Amino acid sequence: MKKLILVPKEVTAIPVEAEVISPTVIAGRTLDEVQRLNVYQGKVKLTLADHFDVTGEVAETPAEQIIVVDGDAPHVKYMGAAMDAGRLVVKRDAGMHTGSQMTGGELTVKGSAADWAGAEMKGGVLRIEGDAGHLLGAAYRGSSEGMTGGCIVVGGGVGSEAASFMRRGMIVVKGDTAPFTGVHMNGGEILVFGRAGKRLGAQAKGNGGFMACFGGVEELLPTYMYDTTYSPIFMRLYLRQLAETLNVEEALRYLDKPLKRYRGDLAVGGNAEILIAEP
Amino acid sequence: MSFKLNGVEIEDTFAEGFGMWGTRLIITAASRKWANTAAAEMTGFATSVIACDCEAGVEAEIPPEESPDGRPGTAVMVFGFSAKKLATSLLNRLGQCVLTCPTTAVFNGLPEEMADAMIDVGKSVRFFGDGYQVKMRMGDGWEARQRFWRIPVMEGEFLVEEKVGAKKAVAGGNFLVMGETEAATLEASERAIEAIHTVPYVITPFPGGLCRSGSKVGSTYAFLRASTNTPFCPAIKHSLKDSQVPEGVNSVLEVILNGLDEPSVKKAMGVGIEAATKVEGVKWITAVNFGGKLGKYQLHLKDCVGGG
Repeated sequence: MKKLILVPKEVTAIPVEAEVISPTVIAGRTLDEVQRLNVYQGKVKLTLADHFDVTGEVAETPAEQIIVVDGDAPHVKYMGAAMDAGRLVVKRDAGMHTGSQMTGGELTVKGSAADWAGAEMKGGVLRIEGDAGHLLGAAYRGSSEGMTGGCIVVGGGVGSEAASFMRRGMIVVKGDTAPFTGVHMNGGEILVFGRAGKRLGAQAKGNGGFMACFGGVEELLPTYMYDTTYSPIFMRLYLRQLAETLNVEEALRYLDKPLKRYRGDLAVGGNAEILIAEP
Repeated sequence: MSFKLNGVEIEDTFAEGFGMWGTRLIITAASRKWANTAAAEMTGFATSVIACDCEAGVEAEIPPEESPDGRPGTAVMVFGFSAKKLATSLLNRLGQCVLTCPTTAVFNGLPEEMADAMIDVGKSVRFFGDGYQVKMRMGDGWEARQRFWRIPVMEGEFLVEEKVGAKKAVAGGNFLVMGETEAATLEASERAIEAIHTVPYVITPFPGGLCRSGSKVGSTYAFLRASTNTPFCPAIKHSLKDSQVPEGVNSVLEVILNGLDEPSVKKAMGVGIEAATKVEGVKWITAVNFGGKLGKYQLHLKDCVGGG
C-alpha cells in the first residue's frame, strides 16, 4: 500500500467539496497532478493543495492506495464519495456526505462524521468511530433506494432518518439512534446496541429487512405487531460476524439473548421485523 | 502378486471407483445430541445406490468453535448418480429428516469455489414456509455473499442456506480386511474406519462404515441383479471352485468409502489399510474390482499405502 497524507491547512466556515479525496480518483496520477486536483469552496474553484498539504506516494491502482487525512476536516464534504477500492482514513472529524455512494474499499473516520455519511452506499466498509449525523446511509431526496450494499459501523450515536429507504447492506450502531431510523426500509439490516429512537421502522416494507435493538426502544409504533419472544439462530450469524469481522465485541453478549419479534409497518402492509432484546 | 505392510499381505490390485456427484452439508443444533440425531436420520437407508436413492454418511463432528453458528455441528455427505438425482434425494431427506428435527439449521459445507455446481436447497425448502418465509442476505457488497431462508416452524425458526455446493466425486473406494477370526477382522476394520474418518471429504456409507455382505454383479436367479460375493465368503471357501479366500482366513469385512475427489479417497484407503494391518490376526488385504470394465477410477492399493 502506498500512503498519501493530506493535512488540512485550516477549518473554514464555508465547506470545501472534495470528492477527489478518494483512492479511486487519486491512484494512477503523479503527486503534482494530485495537488492540482480541483476542489470547490462555494462557487470558487481551487486546488487540493490550496486546502491541504499533500505529501506521500501515489499508487498505480486504487486498491494499493491509502489516503490519510491527518487533521480536523469537519468542513470537507464528499471525502471518499464513490470510492471503489483502497483505504481512506480521516484521523479526526469528517464533513457531510463522507463515503456517500461508495462501492468498495474501507473508509475510517476516527472522529465523528456529519450528515449523509454513507448515503446511498453500494459496497465497502465505512467505520465512524465517533458519532454520525443525520441521514446516515440514507437515500438522497427523491430517490427510492438508500443503501444497496456495504457495511457501516458507528461507534457512537446517529442522527435521525438513518438507513432511510435502505434496500440491502448492514448498519451497526453501538450508541443510540435518533427518530425515524429505518424509515421506508425495504431490506437490509440495522443493529443498534444503544437505545433506538422513536418512529423506528416507520413505513418499512420488509423484504427480509430487520432492525435489531439490543439496548431497548424509546417508543414503538403501534403499527408494529408483537409475534413472539425467541432466540433465532440467524441472529447468531450476524452477532458472530460483528465480533469476528468488525470487532464489535459487545455483540457476543447477546448470542443467546431472547428477542421480542414485532412485525410491521402494518400502515403500509409491511413485513419488516423489529427485534428487541429482553432486558 | 502381493506386497507386505506391517507383516500383512496386501494384494497388488485395485479398487474400482465410480463417478458420482457429491455434496457436503453442515447440520448444527442446540446440542451434539440433536445435531447427530438429524445427521443420522438424514443419512439413513443410504448405503448403496443398488437399492437406495443415494449414498450418504456422516463425515465429521464439527466443534462449536468451528461451526457456522457457534453450536455443535455434524458434517454429512450425500452422493447421487447425477446432480439432478442428488438434488432430489437431498431435498427429500432435508425436508423429512432435518427440517423436522428440533433446533437444527443447515449450512453449505462445500464452498462455491470448490464446487462444480450449486444445488438449490433452501430455495426449494422455503415453500414450506407458506409465504411467511424470510430471505436473509449477508455480506452484500462488503464480504462473501451468503443467502439463507428463515422458515417459521412450530418450535421457532428453521434456518437453511439457499444453495449448497456439489461436485463430481468418487464412489466405491474399497478394500477387504481378511482375518483369522471374526473378532480380529472386526477390530481391524473398526480401526480402519477410525483412521478413515480423520481424512476430510470422505464418508463410509455402510453400517459403521463396514459391509459384511459384499456383493457381486448378477446371481444364479434371473430376477436378482446382485448376490453375495461368493468368492470372498469363508464359509464356502472349500465348496467353491473360484474362492479367493486365502488359507487361514475365516472372516472378511469390506470397507467402502466415497469421497469428493480421488486423492481424498486414496488417502483414506491408505490410512485405513495401514490401521487395519496393525491388528494381530489380520492376514490379507485386497480390493474389489470388475477388471476395470465398469468404473472410471482404478484405486491401486500400492498407490494408496505408498502415498501415490
